[in-house]
Amino acid sequence: MSRKELISKVGLRLDGRRADELRRIRCKLGVFSEPDGSAYIEQGLTKVLAAVYGPHQVRGNRLKAQADAVIINCQFSMAVFSTSERKKRPRGDRKSTELSLHLRQALIAAIEVEKYPWSQIDVYVEVLHADGGIFPACVNAATLALIDAGIPIKEYVCACTASIANNNQAMVDISHEEEILGGPTLTIVALPMSEKIVLMEMSQRFHLDHLKSVLEKALEGCKNTKNILDQAVQNHIVDVGASTGWASTGEKVKR
Amino acid sequence: MPVDHKRINGPENTIPYKLYTKLNVKSFKEALQDAVKNGVRNDKRKLDEHRRIFMKTDIVSQAKGSAYIEIGNTKVVVSVFDPREIPNKNEYSLNGELYCEFKFAPFSCPKRRLHQQDAEEKQNSIVMKQALEPAVCRHEFPNFQVDVYALVLENDGSALSAAITCAGLALAQAGIPMFDIITSVTIGIQGDLKLLDPMLHEETLCYTSINKNSKTGKNSHGIVILSLLNTHQQVTEFYQVGSLDIDDIEECTKVLTEANKVVVPLVEKCLAKHVIKGVKESSQ
Amino acid sequence: MTLSEAEKTFILHGVQENFRIDGRNRDDYRPMELETSIITHAFGSARLRLANTDVVVTVKVEIDVPFPDRPLEGKMEFFIDCSANATPDFEGRGGENLATEISNTLTAAYSSNSVFDYTKLCILKGRKCWKIYVDILILECGGNLYDAISIAVKAALWNTSIPLVKSVTIDGNNVDMNVSENLSDCIKLDISAAPLMVTLCKIGDHCVVDPTSAEEQCSQGAIVVAISKGKFSTVFQTGGGSLHPLTLMEKLKLGAKVGNRLEEALSEALSKIKENGEMGFLN
Repeated sequence: MSRKELISKVGLRLDGRRADELRRIRCKLGVFSEPDGSAYIEQGLTKVLAAVYGPHQVRGNRLKAQADAVIINCQFSMAVFSTSERKKRPRGDRKSTELSLHLRQALIAAIEVEKYPWSQIDVYVEVLHADGGIFPACVNAATLALIDAGIPIKEYVCACTASIANNNQAMVDISHEEEILGGPTLTIVALPMSEKIVLMEMSQRFHLDHLKSVLEKALEGCKNTKNILDQAVQNHIVDVGASTGWASTGEKVKR
Repeated sequence: MPVDHKRINGPENTIPYKLYTKLNVKSFKEALQDAVKNGVRNDKRKLDEHRRIFMKTDIVSQAKGSAYIEIGNTKVVVSVFDPREIPNKNEYSLNGELYCEFKFAPFSCPKRRLHQQDAEEKQNSIVMKQALEPAVCRHEFPNFQVDVYALVLENDGSALSAAITCAGLALAQAGIPMFDIITSVTIGIQGDLKLLDPMLHEETLCYTSINKNSKTGKNSHGIVILSLLNTHQQVTEFYQVGSLDIDDIEECTKVLTEANKVVVPLVEKCLAKHVIKGVKESSQ
Repeated sequence: MTLSEAEKTFILHGVQENFRIDGRNRDDYRPMELETSIITHAFGSARLRLANTDVVVTVKVEIDVPFPDRPLEGKMEFFIDCSANATPDFEGRGGENLATEISNTLTAAYSSNSVFDYTKLCILKGRKCWKIYVDILILECGGNLYDAISIAVKAALWNTSIPLVKSVTIDGNNVDMNVSENLSDCIKLDISAAPLMVTLCKIGDHCVVDPTSAEEQCSQGAIVVAISKGKFSTVFQTGGGSLHPLTLMEKLKLGAKVGNRLEEALSEALSKIKENGEMGFLN
């Protein structure tokens, strides 16, 4: 194959990671005060902001309201400066509409929708910097924002990408460079604790035999992401709790 | 307004031929000297003199109220339509709204205008809305919107002012309750020159600074549009672009308030004429 | 957020007493945080947080053909993106009206050649010029958007470096350019005269600077002035309401004063900005 090898002989990828390593994830909850919940996440160089409004009364067409479930409204948008080539418009193109739908599907699986009949929850994500794995970053950011908003979810919903390198080796969390160098990309959104897959999408092709290993890698990536997010949430709770004096408990919290 | 995607707009990149004719190779200073000689302008006006103004009401039969104005060569038609419910709005709004649309006809300017509103026209629509809203008793029609459409047939400078004055007249003719007659006047500034009611070529001269690098000359330049409710002495919109200092602005404001006073009787006369005509017709 | 009549009266009385709801005087600003170079894909960027208002401004330059009637000048375009993160009202095309209003205002404020020298952007007369795209992303609206955006735009332009064109050769109809590969060979923009906007919000008989969104709701109209080196580059009224000519002049004078003060504060802040400090949304 003429294309550059995605994993070198010593087992390192283009950016120096090993096949099963995620990029560095850094995140923060409660970035903004206006929305009910907000979060910021960095996965490698990919940067995403998410905001959650609601639950509130159904906006716009009241007929949309459902008696048994809350309406989840998602909008995916990419800042015009997020890619190296300037984008013409931030949203409204086919790709953003598709990603909005996918995001909605992923979140419906996690949110306890039956808790809020006749209401609506808005989830908005804004990509500030795109460097591969935009959609997984959006899902993870949206999860954190939902938690910050205090909306009950069944469990963390996490997303991760995986691919296959050198025709046989599965690798996790694909960067933009690896995306454009070729190779198929499998994106999954999963509920990592119950090991359920919510959404799965693949571009290009590989042999069916590889599917198992790639899928396992991606699922493992989701689990690892979940642990990182969980840690961030715990830290956030400690921060917020400590600043309010933990109300009545009076316990000292160690960090 | 939904954008019309089906209309074929003609070739996108065309250039008016005037750019290539020899007449155009004039430096800015020469152009300025041509425009004003010894305090007299091209059309033999003094610096602080209006062009001749002609106004007429009731010229678009489909509209509730309409008016036509000519200021020199600048010609504008404004039509005002019946109040209607504000589209796509759920909450109750205590005050009615004005929807303004300012449009240059495709043939109105030296360069052909497209059918879609461009940035300048959108900005002018916003300025127009701000200028008109305080003049209208908006509490009289809550939850309703009045549509005001201004179409510039020929642009020879001060088109926005003409549109605002004309819209005031059209609103009054349409029987929309108003606090006062609204008028608007433009002034152009270039260095020490202050040109009231500028023509198109004078406006162009005012957009850029000529004495930019010389330290001696005054490098103020710009356009000021002032809309005034004359009886109440209330400025509804003060719009300026360019680069002016506070003294320039103070002087312009004085000149413009005086200049607005001159326009008011013309609007009044036109309205009175309309009323007399109406009374005559109903008595017959 | 809608306010009740009682809340509005409370704010109004506060303004009359020169003691606003957050403890400020009538001509005080809220605290600001300014960061530059936060977006790596851009040639220059800045993020400004003015209490609850949060905007990110990035600058990208591309090569374009000059306008035929102004062959010696480059171009500048402002694009505003009202993110739905700021308020659900901006979802879909909801923020477009606000966006056009702000971009038109910025275009007007930057239109004069004594405010920004467009001839510096020309590469080859009538053939090649730089086009500056100023993209503004509104992430949170806590009132006073105009001021916040104008400060962030100025900071982003200050932060911008344009690649150096070493030589231009014409071969028939083709223009070949040799752009310097060396990253340190850059041209900085001259932004000393770039305007800063000041919104003066009329509440009762007084006007306040830097209104919060609650105060904006109580206002009977505002006037926005763009000040460049002590001169007015754009003035317009907004938000309904009208003024007596004398009140107008008073406000303009106040606007100029505040604008100059803001200018000083900004240039001081820009001179103190350090590179590679801890930045971004994580802190």
